Amino acid sequence: MKSTDLCLSSRGSEVVLVTSSDEKYPPENIIDGSSETFWTTTGMFPQEFIISFHKCVKISKLTIQCYLVRSLRIEKSLSKNPVDFEVCTEKDLQYTEGALQTEEFSLPEFQATYLRFIIKSAFDHFVSVHTVMAEGVAENL
Amino acid sequence: MVKLAAKCILTGDSAVGKSALAQMFCNDGAHFQKNYTLTTGVELLVKTISVPETSDSVELFLFDSAGKELFSEMMEKLWEQPNVLCIVYDVTNEQSFNNCAKWLEKLRAQTLGMHLPGVLVGNKTDLIGRRVVEQKWAKEWADIHGLQYCETSVKEMENIEAPFHILANSFHRLYREKVETFHSLV
Ligand SMILES: Nc1nc2c(ncn2[C@@H]2O[C@H](COP(=O)(O)OP(=O)(O)OP(=O)(O)O)[C@@H](O)[C@H]2O)c(=O)[nH]1
Ligand SMILES: [Mg+2]
Repeated sequence: MKSTDLCLSSRGSEVVLVTSSDEKYPPENIIDGSSETFWTTTGMFPQEFIISFHKCVKISKLTIQCYLVRSLRIEKSLSKNPVDFEVCTEKDLQYTEGALQTEEFSLPEFQATYLRFIIKSAFDHFVSVHTVMAEGVAENL
Repeated sequence: MVKLAAKCILTGDSAVGKSALAQMFCNDGAHFQKNYTLTTGVELLVKTISVPETSDSVELFLFDSAGKELFSEMMEKLWEQPNVLCIVYDVTNEQSFNNCAKWLEKLRAQTLGMHLPGVLVGNKTDLIGRRVVEQKWAKEWADIHGLQYCETSVKEMENIEAPFHILANSFHRLYREKVETFHSLV
């Protein structure tokens, strides 16, 4: 099966939780397939969002495009509901003046129904998240 | 319409009126407490402020901190990742004004070079005959250190909203600027 971006809302994925939001820059912008649109946090950290695939998927690579994120943790869950998360990876990002941070995580292939992104700290009062991509395949259940 | 959230550190020497200010501002209809109760550690108060000429608002999480040195280690943990700051001194107490430099330094150490909107507040202006810190000096000092300045009398309910409105507006401006930057990235 061809590997594709599983996060896309056009494929049925959805942001099911977000800790803050400006209606002008909603979390849907993270999974619309465009790096031009973004979601903003609106103050104080940590901040998080949860993406639901609405099915079980197998992921081999994660990419996030964001700005001013300092410390990021990614968690996964295989449950029907967004509970029982386990840590996938945790990383301190580099400061990139005036340019998007593009962070690729090549991980041993894993299954998930949800992904949770926790922005623990930042280089400024606010951050933007432009895209999240998960490469892999949807399981045939 | 957006509701921002700002962690506001309220600091300054003991007995300058930080808790009085925070409580009068946050609890509408609170009574001015003549008796002094020292704050141990940090007390959290929350109040939402609307930003003029917009439909936006800022939810201020006020960390009313102990002025007594005794509690300072515990406070540093609670002060992590602040957004805005409010340093209070007592206009009848010169020492409390001189110590503002120390409080500011402690706070700036938390911010890792990030710009932090701040306001210096001279409180107890009702004690006219006992005033020792001139408004002119205090304002000059605030300017030099990149802080805005205002004076209050919590006892007389005078100007007590001003510092928090200043902070909310500055924080909102920072957000607008940051969003512009986010747009310019791609
Ligand atoms: N005259 C006058 N007294 C005030 C004013 N504001 C506060 N006070 C009095 O100053 C005393 C100390 O006030 P607090 O608000 O408890 O002081 P604080 O800065 O929180 O002190 P710590 O918690 O020890 O750091 C109290 O007795 C208040 O009644 C004011 O505007 N005018
Ligand atoms: Mg107090």
